[in-house]
Amino acid sequence: MTTTPVTPPTAPVTPSAAPATSAVAAWVGNPWARFLLRRTGRLLVSLAVLVTLAFLMIHLIPGDPVRAALGVTAPPDLVEARREALGLNDPIGVQLADYVRALFAGDLGTSMTSGVSVSETIGQRLPATASLAVAAFVVVMLAAVPLGLAMAVLTRGGRRRGAELGFTSTSAVGAAIPEFLLAVGLVFVFGVTLGWFPVAGRGDAASYVLPVVALALGPALLMARIVRVEALAVMDEDFVRTARAKRLPPLRVHLRHVFPNALTSTLTIGGLLLSGMIVGTVLVENVFAWPGMGMTIVSSILAKDYPVVQGIVLVYGAAVLLVNLVVDVLLALADPRSTIREG
Amino acid sequence: MGRDQWRAALRNPVGAAAAGLLVLLAVLAVVAPILWGDAAEETDPAALSQGSTSEHPLGTDALGRDIMLRVLVATRYSLGLALLATAICVVAGVLLGVLPAVLGRRAGRLVTGTVNLAVAFPGLLLALFFAVIFGVGARGAVLAIGLAGAPSFARLVQTNVAAVSGRDFVAAARLAGVGRFRLVARHLLPNIGEPLVVNATVMAGSALLAFAGLSFLGLGVQPPAYDWGRLLGEGLDRIYINPAAALAPGVAVVVAGLAFTLLGESIAQVVGVRAVRRRRPPVGDQAAAAAAAGSAPETPGDTVLVADDLRVGFPAPRGGWTYPVDGVGLTVRPGETVGIVGESGSGKSLTALAVAQLAPDTADVTAARLEVAGVEPRGRPESEVRELLGTKVAMVFQDPMTSFNPSMRVGTQLAEVTRVHEGQGRRAALARAVDRLRTVRVPAPERRAHQYPHEFSGGMRQRAMVAMGLMSTPELIIADEPTTALDVTVQRQVLRLLKDVQAETGAAVVLISHDIAVVAQLCERVVVMYAGRVVEELPVGQLGAAAHPYTRALLASVPDLATDRERPLATIPGRPPDPADRPEGCAFAPRCAFADDACRVRPGLAAVAPEQRAACWHPRSQPLDLVLDVLSGGRS
Amino acid sequence: MRELSFEGTTVRFGSGRSALTAVDGVDLTVPAGSVVGLVGESGSGKSTLAKAAVGLVPTTSGEIRLDGAPLRTRRDRRRLQLVFQDPHASLDPRMTVGESIAEALRGRRRSARAAEVARLLELVDLDPARARSLPSGLSGGQRQRVALARALAAEPEVVLADEITSALDVSVQGSVLNLVRDLQRRLGLTILFISHNLSVVRYVSDVIAVMYLGRIVEAGPADAVLSSPRHPYTRTLLDAAPAFGVALDDPVPADDPRLDTEAPSPHDPPTGCRFHRRCPIGPLTRPERTICAETDPQPGAPDRPHRSACHFASETLTLEVPAR
Ligand SMILES: Nc1ncnc2c1ncn2[C@@H]1O[C@H](COP(=O)(O)OP(=O)(O)OP(=O)(O)O)[C@@H](O)[C@H]1O
Ligand code: SF4
Ligand code: SF4
Ligand SMILES: [Mg+2]
Repeated sequence: MTTTPVTPPTAPVTPSAAPATSAVAAWVGNPWARFLLRRTGRLLVSLAVLVTLAFLMIHLIPGDPVRAALGVTAPPDLVEARREALGLNDPIGVQLADYVRALFAGDLGTSMTSGVSVSETIGQRLPATASLAVAAFVVVMLAAVPLGLAMAVLTRGGRRRGAELGFTSTSAVGAAIPEFLLAVGLVFVFGVTLGWFPVAGRGDAASYVLPVVALALGPALLMARIVRVEALAVMDEDFVRTARAKRLPPLRVHLRHVFPNALTSTLTIGGLLLSGMIVGTVLVENVFAWPGMGMTIVSSILAKDYPVVQGIVLVYGAAVLLVNLVVDVLLALADPRSTIREG
Repeated sequence: MGRDQWRAALRNPVGAAAAGLLVLLAVLAVVAPILWGDAAEETDPAALSQGSTSEHPLGTDALGRDIMLRVLVATRYSLGLALLATAICVVAGVLLGVLPAVLGRRAGRLVTGTVNLAVAFPGLLLALFFAVIFGVGARGAVLAIGLAGAPSFARLVQTNVAAVSGRDFVAAARLAGVGRFRLVARHLLPNIGEPLVVNATVMAGSALLAFAGLSFLGLGVQPPAYDWGRLLGEGLDRIYINPAAALAPGVAVVVAGLAFTLLGESIAQVVGVRAVRRRRPPVGDQAAAAAAAGSAPETPGDTVLVADDLRVGFPAPRGGWTYPVDGVGLTVRPGETVGIVGESGSGKSLTALAVAQLAPDTADVTAARLEVAGVEPRGRPESEVRELLGTKVAMVFQDPMTSFNPSMRVGTQLAEVTRVHEGQGRRAALARAVDRLRTVRVPAPERRAHQYPHEFSGGMRQRAMVAMGLMSTPELIIADEPTTALDVTVQRQVLRLLKDVQAETGAAVVLISHDIAVVAQLCERVVVMYAGRVVEELPVGQLGAAAHPYTRALLASVPDLATDRERPLATIPGRPPDPADRPEGCAFAPRCAFADDACRVRPGLAAVAPEQRAACWHPRSQPLDLVLDVLSGGRS
Repeated sequence: MRELSFEGTTVRFGSGRSALTAVDGVDLTVPAGSVVGLVGESGSGKSTLAKAAVGLVPTTSGEIRLDGAPLRTRRDRRRLQLVFQDPHASLDPRMTVGESIAEALRGRRRSARAAEVARLLELVDLDPARARSLPSGLSGGQRQRVALARALAAEPEVVLADEITSALDVSVQGSVLNLVRDLQRRLGLTILFISHNLSVVRYVSDVIAVMYLGRIVEAGPADAVLSSPRHPYTRTLLDAAPAFGVALDDPVPADDPRLDTEAPSPHDPPTGCRFHRRCPIGPLTRPERTICAETDPQPGAPDRPHRSACHFASETLTLEVPAR
């Protein structure tokens, strides 16, 4: 039977390219749409949780928040009136609904102490905080990524033990110093002793130097460490050995084969650091009397001005979620496998 | 983490310094409030807000209290609160982290999801949130910092638990009827202990810093109590008058925080991989064992590869050097196919990498003579070797999944070879890549060249790897277990491909495999390695007359489709030696049935038959019972 | 001595586009006291089948029975024991060998346990003094023996051995295979022996079953399957097995360049016969055999020799290459 001669080959019965279909459709069409959909869904859930928590914050405080804010000496009818005004006497479901509705209208409530609208306060304070965080982030990326990569190349395979030890120990120490202590140290050295930079307030470019350095130094060192470790890990991969077997010049091996593959983790860490730095501004602002949201939230917590605290927590939280979203999208762009892997 | 490792962590200078500091801090925390507690509360109306004086070295605060004493006394409160917060964080984190493993699938997923959501928010934001709820003050701050750290700790526990529960021993315990709770207690937690200890230590450091931060903001410890953060906040207001008032508590916080962090990190380092130092071995060491080392057989005419007394050494973890490749001799003639067989760890791959000048950075490669494709690479700078060897040696590695750059298109990776070495233009190089993919029978090569490696199947990738070697005209192709990661049906295709390539280009092929049958199919000559040495070298057709006891045992112990099923398989007792404690003399002696006193001296490779050499004092001469009549091997 | 049988066992993973049927309606019986060898390529579903039997993965449909009684509870499933591939991962690194084995022994007193552990270690040719050592002190072969001893400690009716020699050094593999055969003969065990290596499976098995893309495509007495395979895939496996006496140049039907297509994706298995895009006697070499691409040969399998899932199972497959 097997020896039966057969007619010359015609077209195969089934196209053999079936599983791969069209590359375009497979890449851009379906998985991307599904990825974005999934990711947006996650963002919405996170936002919903954030809003609920911010709303619940007032209700989780033991005792009466209005009484706490106005002090024990406030007359009961004033407290009652304020409760009524804040809607705290309504059923909790109604309150939540009101809260969300107001939120969509851009209304975050009014301050209990000053009576100013919270969104207005935030509108005034946000630019100062955002400019600080963004400036610090840019500094981190510009300094840390090249430093980490350079250290990886220099210390690969146990080379230059001295440099490695110096780098790892200084960066470990540097990364462990919290931003507010660094800020105090910087104020002392460059503000008080040397008098080079202003020690408080937001003004011209010089006033940015110390807060930005205080905010960026720790994350930058941490980032440089991580970039180095990641790049070293990639250098141990089989495909780098393949590149060496192709006898490519080292520069090409590093630029084309090592760095792009160390990028994903750099991005992930970068996102985490940015989130951390957004919130880290709270401390730095308080050292430098920087007129941002961080100053406001602390004084509001101390004054028990809960609507303001609520509003600022929401803004910080939303900023963090946004950063996460951007990082995830960038990751998907940088690494074509990741969208598939999850999907 | 064994006792040795703890000790090693402390022996490391950083770890020792950190541990010493912590001990010092602990002592301070105990004695400082007893000794100076009252003195630190004493107000001195005569010395309000002073700078440094002989009486008050760090000055006084607004009420005239001595700042140095206050910083010392605050040690107890600062450390205590930080440790309390750490404890809360660890307990909550471990509970949340282990819960998914104990709960059912759905509830577990809910917990994981919640933790993942919470982790997205920075700790400080969570701490502020909790500080609002629990109220301003020490109690609120402890709870806030503890709970704020819990999600990330829980995540850590979860990842570790997930990694461990994915391992077979957990599945095996489940099958053996071990219950959920016992599973967690006996199998999961003990196996994630190390990372948890490390991270709890680091966590204590960050709790300390976070606490200082909250107190500094005025949200933590409230007067009249004080901790370092509070002192720092008070001092900052007067930094122009008395910098020490702000700097002293700041330094205390940093030092204590660092002590925890660095201790954690040095433990982590000891637990993890130790960095290998790049060194050269002492010269005498190298020459010592060279006496009986394998030398390349005298071969008339030209060769593409000659290695004589090749040794590859690594610094041993406990000092000294180990030589996984210990005096290998190897010769390959142009167009020849040579197979290297041996068990895992026998040094096959390392030999191949060393001759191709691709040995790891930490390795020390020496040889009496080494010539690859007419190039003598030793003593030349790396860049010159790269230039001279260029595309003369092609490599095919074992794992096609990891041997391609995942973020670069396959065609580009192929094209890179000629673009770099022949200065070819982008388009021409890509066209050549497509052509070579077609040569190795990759279907639809134009489309394939534009795809990423992960879109290729294993067999296709290995073909693409061969195609990469063919971008120029190699003189030598070294294939290190090219088919081990592939299915048998694909294995045959790749082997045939190698054979065709060899026939068409006339390149010599060195095929490395642990499977002697695979080698026999493709090669003309077989080199058998054991424990970093060549023990026998013979033409494939003579495998039935193998003379070395190890070769013979290897042939007899591996079942094939003709093995007699009624007889037990021949076995080799014991296991291959570790390169670090290779026996003196013949390395096979502890497992050899014919070993005697003579074998205490290392045997050299000696001719036992034409074209056959064995390193054995008592070579066997009886033919083996193999199906050898069709053993034409790769010779066509 | 019990009989293990799979009836229409199906295991599906994931959902949507990433859904994958790893095991697809498998019917297979492991007769009491015999060894059934299961071969197939990686990803063909061998391990999943074994895991489904012991309950490590849930089955989507079908029934798995022990002596005719369906396995439902964890208790039932304890009578099946699985031995894993990687001996370095299958023992808890923090438990001594003795503790690991004792964990599987139940309802015995302490002293009785120690004696039982010693007996089991001796059964797998290990020194009973080894009970006190940690796995890190053992070689791969020794660990695999411990894993076998642990499986036996649960007094299983059936042992499932999943690639237990694949991670071992070649010089050690033989002794583990000898042990498996020896234990089976002495204890009369029922064993499902899984391996990708046909030679290894052949050495220990009475019956051989061949799996391809989640299905059993052929099953029968070992000698018969090997000497006269009825499914072209079995033939391909036999041809491809590296063995002394088979040279690479020997023409085999599977080398036909027309068959040089990509391996099918398990996410999207081919229609009709799942093997038709790689089959040396299928539609790619014989265009008139359109039935292969259209009709699934699986349903008729029980009536064909060796339960072969091939429309042309009664043909003798020879080494001859069909003409181009
Ligand atoms: N970078 C390294 N540092 C220290 N030791 C190493 C290194 N690379 C390899 N070795 C050791 O060298 C020995 C030989 O390794 P090699 O990879 O050459 O063996 P092999 O014969 O190829 O084994 P396999 O069959 O498993 O691939 C092993 O004991 C291994 O642990
Ligand atoms: S030299 Fe001695 S120990 Fe070594 S293989 Fe020969 S007979 Fe055995
Ligand atoms: S049914 Fe057709 S394609 Fe499938 S194995 Fe049989 S002959 Fe080959
Ligand atoms: Mg190897």
